[in-house]
Amino acid sequence: MTPVTPVEDDTAGRLVTHLFLRRLIDNDVISPHADRHESLAVLCALVVSLAVFVTFLISTDYLAAFIQLPGPTALHALSDRFLFIAASIAVSALAALMVWDALALEPRDAAILGPLPIPARTITRAKLAAAVVFGTVFAFALNAVPSVLYPVFLTLNMRGMNGRGILQLIAGHATSVVMAGLVGFFGVLAMRGVLRLMAGERGFRRISSTLQSSLVVCAVTALLLAPTVRPTVVRDWVAGVMPVRWPALPVLWYLGANETLAGHIVAQTPLVPPPRFSFVAFPRQEDDAGRAVYRALAPRFAALAERAWLSVPMVTCLAIVTFLWNNRRLPDQSTSGRVRSRFRASIRRMVERLTDGNPETQAGFFFTWQTLTRSVAHRTIVAIAVAAGSTHLLMALATSGAHRLPVPSVPLGLFAINIMALASLMAGFRYAVTVPADLASNWTIRMAWFGDERGYLAGVKRAASVGLVTVPLLLLLPLHVAVFGSAIAVVHSIFGFLIATATLDGMFLGYRQFPFACSYVPIENPKLLWPVGLATMLLVTYEFADVERWALQTTTRTVGLGLALGAIVLLVKFIDRTRRRERLPVNFDERPAPATQRLGLLERMVNPD
Amino acid sequence: MQAGLEARHLTKYYAAIPAIRDVSFTLEPGTILGLLGPNGSGKSTTVSLLTGLREPSAGQVWFDGRNIADGLVEYKARVGYVPEEAHLYTFLSAREHLELIGRLRRLPAPLMARKIATLLDLFGLTGAANQPISGYSKGMKQKVLLIAALLHDPDLLILDEPESGLDLTAGLMLRHLIPILAARGKTIVYSSHVLDHVERLCAEVVVLHRGRIVAEGRVSQLRAMTQRNASLEDVIAQLVTTVDPAGTARDVADVTGLRA
Repeated sequence: MTPVTPVEDDTAGRLVTHLFLRRLIDNDVISPHADRHESLAVLCALVVSLAVFVTFLISTDYLAAFIQLPGPTALHALSDRFLFIAASIAVSALAALMVWDALALEPRDAAILGPLPIPARTITRAKLAAAVVFGTVFAFALNAVPSVLYPVFLTLNMRGMNGRGILQLIAGHATSVVMAGLVGFFGVLAMRGVLRLMAGERGFRRISSTLQSSLVVCAVTALLLAPTVRPTVVRDWVAGVMPVRWPALPVLWYLGANETLAGHIVAQTPLVPPPRFSFVAFPRQEDDAGRAVYRALAPRFAALAERAWLSVPMVTCLAIVTFLWNNRRLPDQSTSGRVRSRFRASIRRMVERLTDGNPETQAGFFFTWQTLTRSVAHRTIVAIAVAAGSTHLLMALATSGAHRLPVPSVPLGLFAINIMALASLMAGFRYAVTVPADLASNWTIRMAWFGDERGYLAGVKRAASVGLVTVPLLLLLPLHVAVFGSAIAVVHSIFGFLIATATLDGMFLGYRQFPFACSYVPIENPKLLWPVGLATMLLVTYEFADVERWALQTTTRTVGLGLALGAIVLLVKFIDRTRRRERLPVNFDERPAPATQRLGLLERMVNPD
Repeated sequence: MQAGLEARHLTKYYAAIPAIRDVSFTLEPGTILGLLGPNGSGKSTTVSLLTGLREPSAGQVWFDGRNIADGLVEYKARVGYVPEEAHLYTFLSAREHLELIGRLRRLPAPLMARKIATLLDLFGLTGAANQPISGYSKGMKQKVLLIAALLHDPDLLILDEPESGLDLTAGLMLRHLIPILAARGKTIVYSSHVLDHVERLCAEVVVLHRGRIVAEGRVSQLRAMTQRNASLEDVIAQLVTTVDPAGTARDVADVTGLRA
């Protein structure tokens, strides 16, 4: 027998770290079926182009200014930096949430690496190292372009600024946003670790997916809400004039760090007019006032920065310690079973009645429900849709408050809460059905179905109608009762249900695929279609809210609108039924062929005929 | 109802590379056909064409006197298929997966529930029936695939490496089950590397090598083609083996024993 030389800890650690990192990117971030280089190139291009676009959009005022006054610019830049920092935290947290399961040792790690002569502690450290490297590289990559571009754009028309000052601004901006990104990423890791510690392995397994989806909702909502914070609000929060809402607090810490490191350079830049325009009277008073206000905030920045400097090592340490403790042993491969409960059985009976006892409709209903709640990709899509709806809800409440008012005086935003939430969910759902639950497993459906998608599709739509229309409407009902009163709230909810039903049927009018089972084909022109879709959604939503507010003022109008909506629902259903009379074959795999196959040169070489 | 299967000059290209060429055979109802060949010989491609999951580049598959391309959905309704790789929706439990299949196959709810419960019990999966498939062993997944293939009482069973990962008891049970189903008139295609099992189960075999049929017929006929009293393993070795297995085995042992 050949004597076995144990693999050196360092070498094994490096190899396993490399393996984990590669798997994190190949399997968890991209897809085991995708081309890694192509997907990474697309991902990088997306990050860079988005960063350039957002930075440019934020900086248009500075770029368009003939001469920039340093004082007001320093104050105005506070809200820009607030946005950059908030985005860095939220996006880094989302990145951690996308690889949620891979942030701890998994049974597959134990299955693959357990039999090898590598100590368990080496595997644990390697997993941690892979997570740390991934999080750190992501935070740097995300913030690299804006960290360079924003300070340059900010000071482009500030003639008193020198190269050293710009470099200092770049360094300060980069430090603060990367720190924020690290806290976003390690914050999720720490939260996961603490909850895993508190709930135990089995308990955490039960709550893990719900927790992940809830955190996705929070992160996306925060990301969407960040641009709505007005510059004066940021200034008031820093000054302590206005109480800070707690989600904004960590953002202010890193804003403090940024201003302490380099932000003050802008406020201290001398006002230098262009040589040929020295005769122009510049508003020096405005500049001086701006500088004075900024200087007054300096002690507050220092206090906030102290917390920023403390928070990074604290969150990182907590994440590392809980990770090492929770993963001190390789996980066992046993799984927890879902126990069949009476509650589930009664729900099941209810669904069977709801689906008229049609087996294909039941298949569609249950598979939709199971995929949306258990598949990570689908759960994330629904969570993002929920976040979009929640953002609108929070904005409407922040603007108008939830006070009881007569119908004509209720702000339009409050009327639009229902329909906006439903529209977001419908859009998310329509996208989710195009994503396969597991492409490699779709052979089971291809072998089993009878070639008629109507029954299955009816089940899919009913599942959406229950989970994404009825449940949200019931959850929003107490809020609407508070704003409109019971009777109008109920009618408002019924109108919401009718319009959502018509939308749901309308969205699937031309759909000839098999939900969750066909290959994913991306839309051809997202640059055009997404903004147009968003604008249309906002326009239609608010127009409908306006019509609804008008209709709810008298009983006759209310009945009229109800009948009109009912007629629309019936009309869409009739069109759908008519169009589906003709049976069309379903193409389960519509992926475009690779470029080499599209050219078809090889086929011609082999089969010249 | 009894139904025969016929492959007529099946040819399949992937891009420009031929996977199988001119594969033809006929299978009577109530018989078991063994599909044999080394890795890359075209067995799985042949199976995927027989199931209707892939279209042939040329040739046809006929079942019960009809070209399956003329009524693919009706054909699939009569086929039970166990694929080589156990790709299943891992977020479902075995029961949920089988319910999905049963509903799509339009089985009446009471019959489906009774069949699923009984088959899960017979295959020893009742205890794990409500656990997600992601935690199943290969053998457990294979049992789920077998139950799914049998659930609707198919006329044609296509089994691609059905014993892969099965434990001793389940494997033995399957080897008893296949002749029983054949005796009840089911047509069965059994693709496997385990020559011993094929020899015991299959009346007829088709041997594929580099995408072409190199031999077909009854096992006894194949033996006669080569030499008397040879085992099926020896026959296959003569037909498709291009390397010397004993020599390669010695080389492997030598490399294993290399030291620094």
